[in-house]
This record gives sequence, C-alpha cells and structure tokens, in this order.
Amino acid sequence: MKTFFYNIGYFLLEAKRTIRFNPLSNLFSVIGTGLILFLLGMVLAGWTVGDRLIQTLQSEAEISAYFDDGTNQQDALLLVEKIKGIKGVKNAAYINQNEAKAQMEDMLGNESDILGLFDENPFEAYLDIRINLDDMDQVLSNVRGLAGIDYVRDNRSVLEQMKGMMDGLKVLGLLVILAVGITTLIIISHMIRQGIYNNKNQINTLRLLGAPNGFIGFPFVLAGTVLTMLGGLLAAGTLYLLISKGYGYLGGFLPFLPIPSIGEMRDKVCLILLAVSAVLGLAGSLFGVTSIKNED
Amino acid sequence: MIEAKGVTLVYHDGTVALRNVELTIKPGELVYITGHSGSGKTSLLKLLIGMEYPTQGSLTVLGQSMKKGKNRKIRKLRKRIGPVFQEFKLIERRTALENVMMGMRFLGISPRKMKEWSISALTKVGLEHKINSKVEKLSWGEAQRVAIARAVARKPELIIADEPTGNLDYSNAVNILRILNSFRDQNTAVVITTHATHLIENQEDATYIDVNQGEVVIRKKG
Repeated sequence: MKTFFYNIGYFLLEAKRTIRFNPLSNLFSVIGTGLILFLLGMVLAGWTVGDRLIQTLQSEAEISAYFDDGTNQQDALLLVEKIKGIKGVKNAAYINQNEAKAQMEDMLGNESDILGLFDENPFEAYLDIRINLDDMDQVLSNVRGLAGIDYVRDNRSVLEQMKGMMDGLKVLGLLVILAVGITTLIIISHMIRQGIYNNKNQINTLRLLGAPNGFIGFPFVLAGTVLTMLGGLLAAGTLYLLISKGYGYLGGFLPFLPIPSIGEMRDKVCLILLAVSAVLGLAGSLFGVTSIKNED
Repeated sequence: MIEAKGVTLVYHDGTVALRNVELTIKPGELVYITGHSGSGKTSLLKLLIGMEYPTQGSLTVLGQSMKKGKNRKIRKLRKRIGPVFQEFKLIERRTALENVMMGMRFLGISPRKMKEWSISALTKVGLEHKINSKVEKLSWGEAQRVAIARAVARKPELIIADEPTGNLDYSNAVNILRILNSFRDQNTAVVITTHATHLIENQEDATYIDVNQGEVVIRKKG
C-alpha cells in the first residue's frame, strides 16, 4: 500500500503516456465505446419510460367478482375482507348497484342518456378487486373458489398482453445490456492488450528488475478505465442534449402517458451511464492486463 | 550468496549452454567471468537472475533456490539484485533520472529518497549533467552508465553486469569497470562478464572464472 501511495504520480503519468502513445487508435476506441454506451443509454431511457407506464398500468389491473343470487350486502362485505387476505390482492371494494350505474354513466359520458331507457337499474352490485399482475392466476382461482361468488370477469387477455409486454421489454433490455457489456469489455481489453504489446520491452525490463505484476499493470488499468469513462462521458453528454431537446416532444405526442420528468430521466440515465462505464472500464482493463500475468 | 552444484543448462533446441557448474560466490566478492562469445557467460548470468533455470543440479542465489515455477519468489529476489544488461534495457522516452528511479519504484522507498539516491548514483557515474536528458539522446557510453546507475542506486546485494565493456573504447571501458568496482563493498558482490581479458588482469582481490563451451573453470580465487 505504501508503494502504491508513493507512486500515485507515476501511475497517472504512465497512464497518460499509454493513452498518448497511440492517440488515434485510442480516440477511435473512445468513440466506439461512446456509441455503444449511447445505445445502452437509449435502452435505459426506453426502459425508464416503459417501466413507469407498466407501473401505472399494473396499478390499474383489476378484476370484477359478481355474487350468487341471494348474497346480501353483509355477506358481500365479509367476502371483501376474505378477498383482501388473498396473496396478490392489493385492494378490494364493494360496489353497490347505484355506484355500478354511476361508474357506467362516467364511462359513457355524453352517451349516458341511453341508460334512461331502463325502468330499473340494470347493473348488479360487484366486488372491484385490484391485483398484482404476477399473481393473477392464483388470485382468480382463489376468488372463484369462494362461496357466494357466482363468476369473475377477469379481462384476462388484456392483462396477459400487458404482462407479456412487460416481460418482453425486460428481456430485450437485459439482452441489450448484456451485448453492450460484452462488446465494451472486448474493446477495452483489446485496447489494453495493444497497449501492453506496444510497451512489451518496458514491461520485460520491469519484470527483470523485480517489479510485481500489480505495479506493472496498474497504469494500464488506469488508462483503460479513463478511456472507457471518456466514452461514457461522450455518451452521457449526447444523451443529455438529446433528452433536453427531444424529450418534451414525447410528452407532447402522448399527453395521456405518465412519463417521468425530464430532470429525473436525464439525471438517472447519465449517472447510470457514467457508473456503468467506470465498472466496464475497470473490468475490461483487469481482463486485459491478465496477458501480463500469462506472459510471466 | 551464490552456490551452484552440478548445474547444467540445456536450451529447448538441445544446445548445452552450461555443463556441471560448481561455483560459490561470497558477499563482497568481485568476480570476472571471461570467455569467447557463445561460451556460456551470458547463460550463467541468466541463471543468476532467473531468466533461465537449471536443467540439472541446484542453484541458490541470495538464499533463494532457482527453480521453475517459483516466479513470485524469484521476482522478489530480483529486487535485491542490480542487473546491468548487455543491451542496457533502458526505457525509452524517459529521462536518465526517470530510468534510474524506475528501478526503485516498487521497493517501498519514499519518492524523496528515490530521487536523492538516483541523483547520487548518476553523479557517481559522472552523469550529473545529463539527469534530465532523454535516454535515446545519450551516447552508447552514457546509456551504459545510466544502466549502471539504475542497477546500483537501489543498493543491491548483488550487482550483475553482462559485457559492460562491449562496444566501448579502451578508456571508456576501463572507466566503466572502475565505476562498477567502486560499488563493491562488504555486503555487495559484483559479477562481471567480459571477453576483454586485457582490461581486467592482475587485480589481486578479484576472482577469475573462465567459461569455455559451457565448462566453467575457476582460474583464480580472490
């Protein structure tokens, strides 16, 4: 550790030398890494919007349970309590006939006059059950099995589509993150190996003088991390501008969608990109310097 | 300090570089190893610094047994040796001072002391005026002296110099040998290979070893 602190200045200087030794190649590596990380940033931004949308839709996921003939309000309220205890149920509420009619009038809006054609209220009382999408099957089976429940309307196809969309987005995002991670690791480790090859005489001399691998490799790790972080900075800067200028249009096109605020989106994506670039740079560089050990 | 018992070195292509070497070198000893080009002098030095390993026999340097597969221990041992390579192995695009300091950076010496010892070593070899010169701008003799300064600045227990007089004129060669001798003390042994026998004869306290086609013969013990 003492040796490390004594040599911080040397390590920084050597890292700078490594970067400057092959400036054009390193510049292209920074641009390449920046482009890949930009792609990751786009996916992250899409993921953030999608995540917010799905969260909203998930909180709206609900099923309706209708009663057997002869179930009175007291029985219904008991059922509400039972249903609230089922795993995957967020909330359950008893909707009486009048409330059911009022809801329909709200939905129909200007067309609600049509309900005046009925002599009596045509709507039945029911239970409005908000559920967790992931537990849909279990909730449906449990509610259907309750005494006093005649049938359950589940909007299954819509809910399943929502669930599928959510899972698909997650898988796509993970695949992109995996691809970006591997590509960045390859670029950085290749760049480090190139640096090691360019400095092989120096490395060989240091070995003969007794320098440990950690001492020899640290400037290369530092150079690789700095270059990857420069790529991350490039990607974060471009995304920052893009989100600042273009994100408002998304809200304009889709005003009914509950998307995150510009500030939240910009800060989150840029910070993640910088952190990911630091981690990938470090990992890629460490992988690259293993070639020093292999040549021992 | 150095003990070789029945050491034989055979290269991968089957060339026998050294045969059945028996050798003991004590702390503070000055040893000249002489022989023609290709006789096995450099192979012997390579064994001492762990660039090659004995095919047969046993070799101990500063208490460390020199065997394949002990890389970490041999790397540690090298910190106690000051090598002067035939082709110098100076690091390009660095100054003379940076090169000398480079040999000490991983020894846990403070930067102030490193600089002080490096300047002192460069002064001893007569290069105080070239401290900040890039090594590629130095003459052959000057580069040679930077390599010596790098080897001695870190106060090693063993200095090994491979053909330090090669390609030098008579006065420069004598000067280099004089400088190397000056770093020998009670605890530091100096081992020098050379084919220029006329430069090293008649030194009372020196040990002379002849190497001929891999055979090592101690001609005179100092």
